[in-house]
Amino acid sequence: MKMKKLLGLSVLAILLITACKEDPEPGTINFNITHKVDGQTMELNNMIYMSPAGHPFDVKRLKYYLSNFSLHNTNGTTFDTEVIHYCEEGIDETKSFYIDRIPSGTYDKLSFVYGLDEDTNVDGGLENTLTNINMEWPIPGDQGYHYMKFEGTYDSLSTGVILNYNLHTGATQGNQNFVEITVDLPSDITIDKNTWEVDMVMDMMEWLQNPNVYDFAEFGQAIMMNQTAQEVLKANGVDVWSVEKVVQE
Amino acid sequence: MASSCEDDDPMIIDRPDYDPTPYSLDYPSYLPIMEIPEDNPMTEEGVSLGRMLFYDPILSADSTLSCAGCHKMEYSFTDERQFSVGIDGSVGTRQAMHIVNIGWMPDLFWDGRSQGLEAQALEPVINPIEMMDTWPNVVNKLSNHDDYPDLFWAAFGEDQITKEQVVKAIAQFERTMISGDSRYDLIVERNEGFFTDAELEGFEIFNTERGDCFHCHGGILFTDNLFHNNGLDSVFPDIGLEEVTGDPLDRGLFKTPGLRNIELTAPYMHDGRFETLEEVIDHYSEGLVYSETIDPLMKQIAQGGIQLTDQEKASLLAFLKTLTDTSFINNPAFKNPFED
Repeated sequence: MKMKKLLGLSVLAILLITACKEDPEPGTINFNITHKVDGQTMELNNMIYMSPAGHPFDVKRLKYYLSNFSLHNTNGTTFDTEVIHYCEEGIDETKSFYIDRIPSGTYDKLSFVYGLDEDTNVDGGLENTLTNINMEWPIPGDQGYHYMKFEGTYDSLSTGVILNYNLHTGATQGNQNFVEITVDLPSDITIDKNTWEVDMVMDMMEWLQNPNVYDFAEFGQAIMMNQTAQEVLKANGVDVWSVEKVVQE
Repeated sequence: MASSCEDDDPMIIDRPDYDPTPYSLDYPSYLPIMEIPEDNPMTEEGVSLGRMLFYDPILSADSTLSCAGCHKMEYSFTDERQFSVGIDGSVGTRQAMHIVNIGWMPDLFWDGRSQGLEAQALEPVINPIEMMDTWPNVVNKLSNHDDYPDLFWAAFGEDQITKEQVVKAIAQFERTMISGDSRYDLIVERNEGFFTDAELEGFEIFNTERGDCFHCHGGILFTDNLFHNNGLDSVFPDIGLEEVTGDPLDRGLFKTPGLRNIELTAPYMHDGRFETLEEVIDHYSEGLVYSETIDPLMKQIAQGGIQLTDQEKASLLAFLKTLTDTSFINNPAFKNPFED
């Protein structure tokens, strides 16, 4: 699709920061990201899903940051990184990245931040690229960047009118709102200067449920300064991710 | 024999060594990193040549129309007419895009059909309702010109002028057309002044979901460089990005223009339908029209827009005018070199 090509140009810079180092050093995990909705691979624009609050909805845009990846060794230590990864559905190049130079050992968990931590999420905290500029969070009094732009339309059953929703998360009014996520690996990864493939899945339906039902109609369409909505999404975001498969190359 | 042939070639005998001077592209640090194509490094000679070509009507079939004929400096390098007029009087269907900070724009034209400034510059010269020339003819005219062969040699060091060199030179010049010296820059980026009360209110409307301008026109470039359906029509006489992609999901999507110098670039929208900024603000306030590809960022589409009060509209307008950069439209480096 042409759009992918057009957008691909604009995301090049951030990839240089994160995923596109020349060659990974030994001890590498390649991460591959898939987005799903209620267990089915997500399709932008063309699929209608049913929200837990009872609203048919589609997804038109999804962009976000992942950061602060740590690998948990079974001996109780962690391998911490400063990787920041920008991902955008529809831009294949952003849906994979790698971490290299991982110390030898056996790892059974992965943790990371959905969004950016308070040290990075400041004005100018990321490199001044077109992609990062488009993720800025310019609300007067706030700082930093959108953690997530999750956008589409929903059918408001009360009005019969198709409405837009913008689930934009980020820090507002002094609340950081990033989500700390830990996921179990389906089987241990033993690193010894070798390479593994890890398939990560984010199920977008989980943003709308567990523990809270997120109702598009309840919070309205503008939630960037709505801390209640941000907290609901933060709580729901804890279990949106899973790792489906690990394979040694 | 080899040396004899070379001696017979005045192109080689008469020219100095090819030794271009690298161009130092200086811009404020708050502007993003500009990616310069590896195959078109900027040089003093290239930028200077590109400036001449931009202003020289030699690029058109009857040598009456230059790039600057539709991209006029006093209007921040756009056309004050709704549609520009070609050399034979033909009238286009889209408003000329203004040229400000386009070195940071990956996709050019309202429908994004050209990737990169070099590719963009290939089009108007041969467009059948614009300059109506052919590239072989343009290259021939330039090659037989008294001055251009030496200038191209100085810029590119090749014996023959090519269309690729022409567009590379124009692109080099265009990359220098940087605006970063507006009142907005002084106040927000350099802390050298204050907004008026109205400007400050407009700034807050612009940068919050009250006005929600920033999601498309945000960042220091005041554009996301993407394509959106911003609620202009329910059916589209001009299908925009779909014309390039063939994808019905792209119907009615057009490139987000940057807002720097927006005060100077009337009329507005891809078809120049709005004569004033007041009309533009009215559109987003209460004039939005639904269609299937409406962008999800047009949150208040069901209400027809964001429903600004008269005061809010005036404040937003006041803020937009802080993006005017008079130093840009008076920069001697961008002026017509044939009038120096």
